[in-house]
Amino acid sequence: MQQMNRRFFLRNGALAVAGTTAIPSFLVRSVMAQTLTAPNRRLVVIFQRGAADGLNIVVPYREKNYYSMRPSIAIPQNQVLDLDGFFGLHPSLSSFKPLFDQGHLAVVHAVGSPDMSRSHFDAQDYMESGTPGLKSTQDGWLNRALQSEDIRCDCSHTPFRVVALGADVPRTLAGSIPAIALSNLNSFAIGGRGPAPSPAANAFEAMYGDSGDRIFHPAGEETFGAVKMLRAANPGQYTPSSGANYPNSEFGNNMKQIAQLLKANLGVEAAFTDVSGWDTHQNQGSVNGQLSNRLKDFSDSIGAFWRDLGDSAANVTLVTMSEFGRTARENGTGGTDHGHANAMFVLGGEVKGGKVYGRWPGLDNEQLNEGRDLALTTDYREVLGEVVSRTLGASNLDLVFPGAGIAPNNFLRLV
Amino acid sequence: MQLLQKSLAAVLCFSLTSVPGWPQRPSASAKQLANTARPSNKPRPEYQSGQLQGDARILHALNRFTFGPRPGDIGVVRSIGLDLWFEQQLHPASLDLTDLNARLAEFPAMQWNPEDLLFRIPSNAIIRQAINGKVQVPDRGALHAIYENQIYRVAEKKQEQAQKKVAELNKPVPSAVSGPSAMNSGTSTQSEAGMSPNPMSKDPSPMQTSNETGNGMGPMNMAATRPTLAAPQPAPAVPQFDQAEIDLFLNLPPQQRLVRLASMRQPEFDEFFKALKPLQRVALDAGLTPDQREVVGALENPERLVVEELAAQRLTRDIYSTAQLQEVMTDFWLNHFNVFLHKNETMPYYLVSFERDVIRPLALGKFEDLLEATAHSPAMLLYLDNSESTGPDSPAAERAEIAAARKPGNQKKARQGLNENYARELMELHTLGVNGGYTQADVTQVARILTGWTVERPERGGGFEFDPNRHEPGTKKALGEKFKDHGEQEGRDLLHFLATSPATAQFISRKIAIRLVNDDPPQSLIDRMAKTYLSSGGDISAVLKTLYHSPEFWSTSVYRAKVKTPIEYVVSAVRASDANIDNLRPIANELRTLGMTLYGCVPPTGYNWKASDWVSTGALVDRMNFALSLAANRLPGITASWTPQADDSAGTMLATDDVSAESEESRLESLLVAGGISDSTRSAVLQQFQQQSAQPQQGASTQQIAAQRPALRAQASALERQDQVLAGLLLGSPEFQRR
Repeated sequence: MQQMNRRFFLRNGALAVAGTTAIPSFLVRSVMAQTLTAPNRRLVVIFQRGAADGLNIVVPYREKNYYSMRPSIAIPQNQVLDLDGFFGLHPSLSSFKPLFDQGHLAVVHAVGSPDMSRSHFDAQDYMESGTPGLKSTQDGWLNRALQSEDIRCDCSHTPFRVVALGADVPRTLAGSIPAIALSNLNSFAIGGRGPAPSPAANAFEAMYGDSGDRIFHPAGEETFGAVKMLRAANPGQYTPSSGANYPNSEFGNNMKQIAQLLKANLGVEAAFTDVSGWDTHQNQGSVNGQLSNRLKDFSDSIGAFWRDLGDSAANVTLVTMSEFGRTARENGTGGTDHGHANAMFVLGGEVKGGKVYGRWPGLDNEQLNEGRDLALTTDYREVLGEVVSRTLGASNLDLVFPGAGIAPNNFLRLV
Repeated sequence: MQLLQKSLAAVLCFSLTSVPGWPQRPSASAKQLANTARPSNKPRPEYQSGQLQGDARILHALNRFTFGPRPGDIGVVRSIGLDLWFEQQLHPASLDLTDLNARLAEFPAMQWNPEDLLFRIPSNAIIRQAINGKVQVPDRGALHAIYENQIYRVAEKKQEQAQKKVAELNKPVPSAVSGPSAMNSGTSTQSEAGMSPNPMSKDPSPMQTSNETGNGMGPMNMAATRPTLAAPQPAPAVPQFDQAEIDLFLNLPPQQRLVRLASMRQPEFDEFFKALKPLQRVALDAGLTPDQREVVGALENPERLVVEELAAQRLTRDIYSTAQLQEVMTDFWLNHFNVFLHKNETMPYYLVSFERDVIRPLALGKFEDLLEATAHSPAMLLYLDNSESTGPDSPAAERAEIAAARKPGNQKKARQGLNENYARELMELHTLGVNGGYTQADVTQVARILTGWTVERPERGGGFEFDPNRHEPGTKKALGEKFKDHGEQEGRDLLHFLATSPATAQFISRKIAIRLVNDDPPQSLIDRMAKTYLSSGGDISAVLKTLYHSPEFWSTSVYRAKVKTPIEYVVSAVRASDANIDNLRPIANELRTLGMTLYGCVPPTGYNWKASDWVSTGALVDRMNFALSLAANRLPGITASWTPQADDSAGTMLATDDVSAESEESRLESLLVAGGISDSTRSAVLQQFQQQSAQPQQGASTQQIAAQRPALRAQASALERQDQVLAGLLLGSPEFQRR
């Protein structure tokens, strides 16, 4: 809701300026001509909006100061799910523990955006544009990663190449490559879900197809392309694999639908969804409570997703992020305020999991950022740069993260 | 941002001059409109490529200062004169709200203060207090039944959760969950909950007071005969309801129905409601007064009643209020000062007052008053946690330290101290803007200034309270200013400083222009509005007047430049359709589907007014489906009539054999899409309609056709179905997505 997606302005701006030499996207992406072969690797990106409290998610339980700074909300040593003798997961992340132990799940700690903004809006905008501190960037890092892939490979793509589960296309996906956003696959049809398009759907298709509206013409085109393809694929009633028990929540439902799309062989290369409720200023709880509830929904949904994918999980990589971390000290109301560095999860068949990556800066008072937050030792773009170059083959990292100087030498080598 | 503005400007200019299609098409129809307009008496300054003229100006004003034109609105404004109409909109007290007030009378509870509302339609927090004996349960009448029903449900839910937890822990499930609250069954809970006159309830709560006084309690005090709960009842067998029984019930006179409902016990009550089909639920309310309907709603689900009525009264105003600008600006400020409905169980109750007492009366007033009112409102104090914030060196914090030192083992208790949440958003989102020149140190200092601003008895609907014990002592330096220790006045000084800052003037002016002009409003306009803001002491009406008298607002380049947000789309469609509305739930639900739930924005940023957030594949599918459903009367309780009735002057149409699709399209287009549609849209509509009419139709209209002769009726209903398709396509067209 809060991203500034300028995709339509951008793409149609480009068309308008280029005039007749630009080839309309519908000619490039003829729905019927596409092969439905899945690309080799798929990337799933999850944004935790509201600034998740990384220190209570991946707990540095050997840090003395962690306990003195968080007298009422710290996770006791005997309650964490130990990872490596120093860090432990919040007990509500029990769905993550086996994935870590099996070597599929990696953690990066003290990671985040180097920009110091503590504004949710700005920090999300920066993180999603991939250019912290630079407001003029119009597209999102994941869209540019796919642009980079296109430079390398002249492959054909389906309308479902880039999908966001939610009401809008997030800033992360904004840019010249069309992305679709939908909340509910079951209602993704116009005028009813019959095997043939409804007469009204045909009329709308003609109407939007012939429209000169610089926003609604391309949006309509993408919509009808996707609606047709989904009808042809006829995914029907979806039953997750046995044992994949998605929580009955918005996030759980989104993850279930991403799995459904991936398994329906619709040509999805990148999928995005977000999950909110992390802004725990007050009464966030410790082992139980607000944050614990969020984490349970979060990890159970991702755990179910992983199980649901079964063998096809091998070529899926999932990465999570949040705009900034929270203060190392609890505040006066049993919560935490806006901080700096955070923790990310990377899950995948090719991930070298079972390890907590990143240099740990320590939690002594003099080691804190501005005396209050976990210091940052890894730029989140180093993690994403490695992930997109390994999964999408986006090797031109100067295009994906302009000005960041992301080089393979600096990769954490987690994929 | 600068880059974006440049490229946008380039696109706009380019499209206007040389690319066929939008926005040239709308500006072409603007010209057509202008041709039919009377000459303007005042010369208008030129801006960019041209200024809107004549009826195009009226349409533009209606699109920006209202939730979209209703049929006939253009004519009304033309007869009043646009300038005078705008002046009236700035002074809503001068407008006739009789019709609106009659509709709002359907929601009597929306007039109550938070304390009364919480008492009469209890939140689950109140119910838990009742279970714990901290709130006395009303001892008679419908109010007693409302509490009893909800106590049963809360206890049942708690019991389920306890059992689930036990099962999760993989321990043998005990035959009864023990504990002081005795949640093992609904009936024993009721006996424990202090329903009978009980010495446990010593709390002299305002709840009791309002119960005793019974002022305006209406049917809540209605003497429903009902057994006392003093003696524990054996758990009744779950009753089954067959349809014959339900029909008998529904045929009872209204008053008897209500008495029967209020005397129904749990779990019978919930089982009865589960057995009702949707139309039967509607029939249950037939013949009841608004107060009585609220009683039924509260018996069924108190919190949902408040949430639904809150949304319903808002949509009623958006759709029907003649004071449209006041409602547009109320919507704007509710979003600017966003409060999330489900922050806690009491928030829906506080939001009723927040919208009614804080936002709407000040929506066209002074910004500083609005800022002050929001800062003092329990809704905002709770939403952004300031009610919890305590000065680290305040007497309250020191007392807590001493208490903690006495019990060194007790580390679990949270220390009392600062919470920065409100301080940051106050500057970033409410006043200065993110680049307004404040630092992290300023955030912390502002949080200190505002310590002690809290809410009295927040679960009971209490009001603002300044607690000097929690206020941080000493002088604070923030934003380059010194704020001397003045208790509450210190915070007022801060709010005054923020409200009068040039950064605030710019921030507010830009945001208003984004809502009312285009997504990237010209800086010249913002500067002019900001100047008015500062010279008028932050007078919102004066700022709007400046906007109205600015050439940028009337530029042809901003005509239909705004993409409707979900609320603008849905409400404008309903307004254009002139549908008869008995039920607002489908509209509220549609807003949820489209990602713009009323009061449902979680982060304090509020929803974005720009197009980019609202145009997506999924949203477009949902908008088209909404248009088709609305037009075909498939939204329960919402009935649009597209075909003139036989007794209308235009009713001669019914008798003619040759109502062409073209003529119907033309009639409906002028009714629904003020400003018209493009030729390509029109031909897509007509082409489809011709195919459509050749096919057998399904789903007959529920419209009552006035004509009596069967042949005529059949003809009329075929025409009606044709019109429903036409109207649905027009309301889903690209042109209708813009304003």
